[in-house]
Amino acid sequence: MYEIVSSVKRDYIVDLAKQEKRIDARTLDQYREVDIETGLLKNAQGSALVKLGNTQVVAGVKIERTEPYPDSPDCGVLMVNAELLPLASPTFESGPPDEDAIELARVVDRGIRESGAIDLDKLAIKAGEEVWAVFVDIHMLDHDGNLIDASALAAISALLHTKVEGIKDWTLPEFPIHKKPISVTTAKINGKLMVDPCLDEENVMDARITIATTEDGSICAMQKGGIGYFTREELERAYEIAISRAAEIRKHVG
Amino acid sequence: MDKPEKLIVDGRRLDGRLPDEMRRLKIQAGVLKRADGSAYVELGDNKVLAAVYGPREMHPRHLQQPDTAVLRCRYNMAPFSVEDRKRPGPDRRSVEISKVTREAIQPVVFLELYPRSGIDVFIEILQADAGTRTTGITAASVALADAGVPMRDLISSIAVGKVDNTVVLDLNKQEDNWGTSDMPIALMPRKKFITLLQMDGHFTPEEFKHGLSLAFKGCEQIYEAQKQALRERYSIKSEGE
Amino acid sequence: MIHVQNRELVVPGQLIADGGYFIREGAFREGQQIYASVVGLADLHGQNIRIIPLQGRYMPKPGDVVIGVVIDTHYSGWILDLNSPYVGNLFVSDLLQRKVDLLLEDIGQYLNMGEVVMAKVKDVDERMRVSLETSEPGMGRVTGGKMVEMAPTKIPRVIGKKGSMIANIQNATGCRLKVGQNGRIIIWGDNPLMVSAVVEALLMIEREAHTSGLTDRVRLMLDKLKSEGGT
Repeated sequence: MYEIVSSVKRDYIVDLAKQEKRIDARTLDQYREVDIETGLLKNAQGSALVKLGNTQVVAGVKIERTEPYPDSPDCGVLMVNAELLPLASPTFESGPPDEDAIELARVVDRGIRESGAIDLDKLAIKAGEEVWAVFVDIHMLDHDGNLIDASALAAISALLHTKVEGIKDWTLPEFPIHKKPISVTTAKINGKLMVDPCLDEENVMDARITIATTEDGSICAMQKGGIGYFTREELERAYEIAISRAAEIRKHVG
Repeated sequence: MDKPEKLIVDGRRLDGRLPDEMRRLKIQAGVLKRADGSAYVELGDNKVLAAVYGPREMHPRHLQQPDTAVLRCRYNMAPFSVEDRKRPGPDRRSVEISKVTREAIQPVVFLELYPRSGIDVFIEILQADAGTRTTGITAASVALADAGVPMRDLISSIAVGKVDNTVVLDLNKQEDNWGTSDMPIALMPRKKFITLLQMDGHFTPEEFKHGLSLAFKGCEQIYEAQKQALRERYSIKSEGE
Repeated sequence: MIHVQNRELVVPGQLIADGGYFIREGAFREGQQIYASVVGLADLHGQNIRIIPLQGRYMPKPGDVVIGVVIDTHYSGWILDLNSPYVGNLFVSDLLQRKVDLLLEDIGQYLNMGEVVMAKVKDVDERMRVSLETSEPGMGRVTGGKMVEMAPTKIPRVIGKKGSMIANIQNATGCRLKVGQNGRIIIWGDNPLMVSAVVEALLMIEREAHTSGLTDRVRLMLDKLKSEGGT
């Protein structure tokens, strides 16, 4: 189900964009207020509730034993799953994850996996037979735009605060997470780039680009979404925005 | 975890409660922006979020009723809500709970005021510690009121059970695992009409009656907390601020 | 016998009165007792009991002025979203106030998907099928401006007694407003600061709709914003 955006609202946002203004009075490169609460769920090894403006997302980390994948017999397994819960938006329906939920989960997964944030090769118990599986489940609770960034932030925050004490027969000294990949999404409206689109902006945007970076500025994941396009200069500009916003956001993450 | 030798010692339960004591209860209304109505409830270590959308256009069309709204409830447990991760998606238990939840709430909603529409209730269990279905019903009721859905009364819900041959109010997880009876109940508090009743285990008729009395008392406390949460949500701010 | 005070905040199932009162809104009768059915403010005058709901969806009534968004079209007209459980039907003859030969005219030239229309509710049948028309001046397709949505229950306060609040806002800011009973408002203004001031005023009304002295507070706030921002 998708929402029809009224022409009045669409025109208003597009006109504002031309003047480099936004519907919620932010500047083009201004991120909304970020609030992160960790360790709120006792049955999860790690948990985080992220508020990004009015968007709210919760992530839980569960660690269990499992069989390794055949092609990586001595590596742990990372699985990221996202649910666009119908309670978060009138446009989300019950049922198995749709293309938006799957894309979101896979983009968040790449940010964590490709940055090497978790040392998966330390998570083997018995090579070829048993390894530790890290499940990250992300649930959207309230959709006001930019679920990708909020989800990635919830996931990395939950992982960084994962406590291994309660895990039965845990085999390692600690939970091997060492990096803080941060994802920053920029939308394009009427030729202007604006970071952290709110819901109204998302409904009107031509395209979005999500860039995940680590502390040293290297890029670990990217995803373009939407049916519009980006020029090369726009992508380079989006990278600049992503680096500087990520540095600020990283301070909120433990 | 092994079964404790005794679940009641010197008249007190393992967590220190008396048999007729409920766990700590916290209720907040209007916690989500997008939903028409919402509520967050903590009962002991249970953490439950409920959201309501509606009355709204009902899809799919062929499920519309010409002269009333259709109430739909979805109870869902997050994978991280329980000790052993639960696979996402509805399982048979969730489907049953969704049904009895709907049947617990439907009697109070003035569905006939909204022909052809749908009212959707979503209950999300973020953390579970026995009593999620009753907490969900309590939350759903507040969320419906928060959404402005007209109702005859709120619905309050709690479970009673039996441990060490004593009937107790509001089982926690250990008591649910090792006890010999579990009976969730939901009430229209004003008239004490029972809209949800399930039971498994063993009760003598006397134990059942005693259990009902305990449940009625527990629901009174829950009702007060529900009303208070709604009042706080809409409390009139002092003028001249 | 009345059991609550005037303007008291009540919750569903709360006992309002015993006896032969007349229920206008938000309450129901069980035998001799009258109970509230929604969260709202008790409004008690003489024999009348009304519970003013603090939340709730918009229910179309004949004569209401509404602002709709086109979500579907068909051969002879359009379906409009009304921010309600019920959509509105607008036939091309009711938009143009004349008979239309559908074989000769393409109705797409008049209205398209996503466009905004100010209309009046012509009729609502027992199945809640809503028909709309645009006969009054200022009705029809609406362009430009900033649209905001608020709880429909608060709209009467935005309009005010005999339009006093809306006149208040328009005079103080130089902006023009169109208000729909269904909770949608469109603001036109040349000065973006004044448009923002109107939005602030509307937010204040939504928050404090149930208090008194609101008209004065809104005017004070607008005067303050005007002197700070300059017109």
